[in-house]
Amino acid sequence: MDDEIRLFAEGRPAAPPYPAEAREAARRLLLDEAARPRRFRVPWMGWQAVGAFGLTVALVGGVGVALSSPPAPGPASGGNGPQSVSVAPPADVAELDPKPGQFIMVESETMYPSERYTKEGEPPIRHLYRTKRQIWKSVDGSQAGLLRIDHLEPKAFPGQPLPQEGLENEGSALHEIDGHCPSTPDSLRTDFAYLSTLPADAAGMREHLYAQEDHGKNTPDDAAWTRIGDLLRENYLPRAQREALFEAGKTIPGVEVAEGVEDAAGREGVALGRVEHGLLTQLVFAPETRDFLGERGTVVDAAVTGAPAGSVLALTAQTRVAVAGELPSAQGAGSDGSCEDLSRQQPAATPSG
Amino acid sequence: MVSAQALLDGSHLDDATVIGRSVDQPELFATVFDRHAGEIFQYVARRLGPGPAEDVVAEVFLVAFRSRARYDRARPDARPWLYGMATNLTSQHRRAERRRIRAMSRVAADRPGSFDDRSAERVTAEQLQPRLARVLSRLSPGERDLLLLVAWTDLSYEDVAQALGVPIGTVRSRLHRVRAKVRRSLGGADPLSLENRDG
Repeated sequence: MDDEIRLFAEGRPAAPPYPAEAREAARRLLLDEAARPRRFRVPWMGWQAVGAFGLTVALVGGVGVALSSPPAPGPASGGNGPQSVSVAPPADVAELDPKPGQFIMVESETMYPSERYTKEGEPPIRHLYRTKRQIWKSVDGSQAGLLRIDHLEPKAFPGQPLPQEGLENEGSALHEIDGHCPSTPDSLRTDFAYLSTLPADAAGMREHLYAQEDHGKNTPDDAAWTRIGDLLRENYLPRAQREALFEAGKTIPGVEVAEGVEDAAGREGVALGRVEHGLLTQLVFAPETRDFLGERGTVVDAAVTGAPAGSVLALTAQTRVAVAGELPSAQGAGSDGSCEDLSRQQPAATPSG
Repeated sequence: MVSAQALLDGSHLDDATVIGRSVDQPELFATVFDRHAGEIFQYVARRLGPGPAEDVVAEVFLVAFRSRARYDRARPDARPWLYGMATNLTSQHRRAERRRIRAMSRVAADRPGSFDDRSAERVTAEQLQPRLARVLSRLSPGERDLLLLVAWTDLSYEDVAQALGVPIGTVRSRLHRVRAKVRRSLGGADPLSLENRDG
């Protein structure tokens, strides 16, 4: 190195270490961004799903209670908030009847593993993070929606102490979420209007589940199973499609049906379960109506998951589903930009000055 | 479905592979943050001070995340890419940088006799800083970016060229010019003229 350069290297000011709080805040921002709906995956939770263990990126699970609802007025009528809500047992509740221009609001509680890599080559630090989520999605995907995440008290990862740092245990965040992006294929839509057009019979639905062309490194069976979760979480399907989905799911190799499986809200339902990466993931449905209640992830292989067999690493409940005439105030919400990202070509770094 | 193995293996894969996989598994990008955020922070903190550096580093990784699909996967080390974004974002904080340079120029004078407990290396740095601050204040922003990437990081000239988005020949010729300027400034008697620098 030349003398002049060496002089600058030696005269380099001392730099303080990255403050832990700032580091966590920056990391959380990044993860919130990663959790936004984007591309062809399910989105909204993404990151949280991180837990790995084969939980999909999708995450929330849930629940379902169907709620009866008189057709809600459109936005012009000044309707505000859910038009109807019911947490009644899903037995004999009427089906929702959302209209274009309205929003489907799904409220859920989630628990998924979180892991942080702090040093290269060392195992990650883990805990189970918990949230309450409320999502408003445009009925036909034509408008932006909203996602509110409130962090709940985290839990220790089975067999490990609760870490002292890096927990997402407080605060809430509001995110705008894009509707259906014009550049993505229809087959990746999850809005109610689209879901209503899916086959209402098991054979047709099965064909839909296996119709995805690109499943990366996953097998077609893995991809079909993943698609089921993606269609269910934080969405609302008409009863015929829900029933078809349940029946089609049973035919995927590796899927087993179990009765009396509890969701995070303690509701028992009938579950479709499949083991992937040492974890049994069960999607729990209301026995009668096939409303999606929630999701449960139970360890079957301790070596693969790093947690004792039988321990529960994922547990969710969709506690409320309703139709809303319009979005609540989105003041302070982070913008989404997923659609923009898909179409924009960002210029490469250029030298400044 | 996110492959558990892919996630668990994240810490053993090179940056290019992790970034490539993060296109479909966004949460994997956290590994890139975990690996490099500390180093990028230190560089930006040296240039702008710790407060502005916190904002810049958060922004660097958001911008990087959003452009991850365009990352050149032929490059296993993501640091030149991240330093390039850090450099661009730092340039939006010229005012903070001017304050920082002014502070550097005062270090020795502000703390007379306060070196007792410090390492010799640190003392040397602090004694040098007022002079270097004077030099830095006379470089154009682009020259400063180049000089400090070369002097304050362990990036190779090729890495610096990649970070700045210019050919390596350009890095060499610019550096030659910067060195000449530095020599003149160190040897010259011009008064400190920080207040007149624009940004």
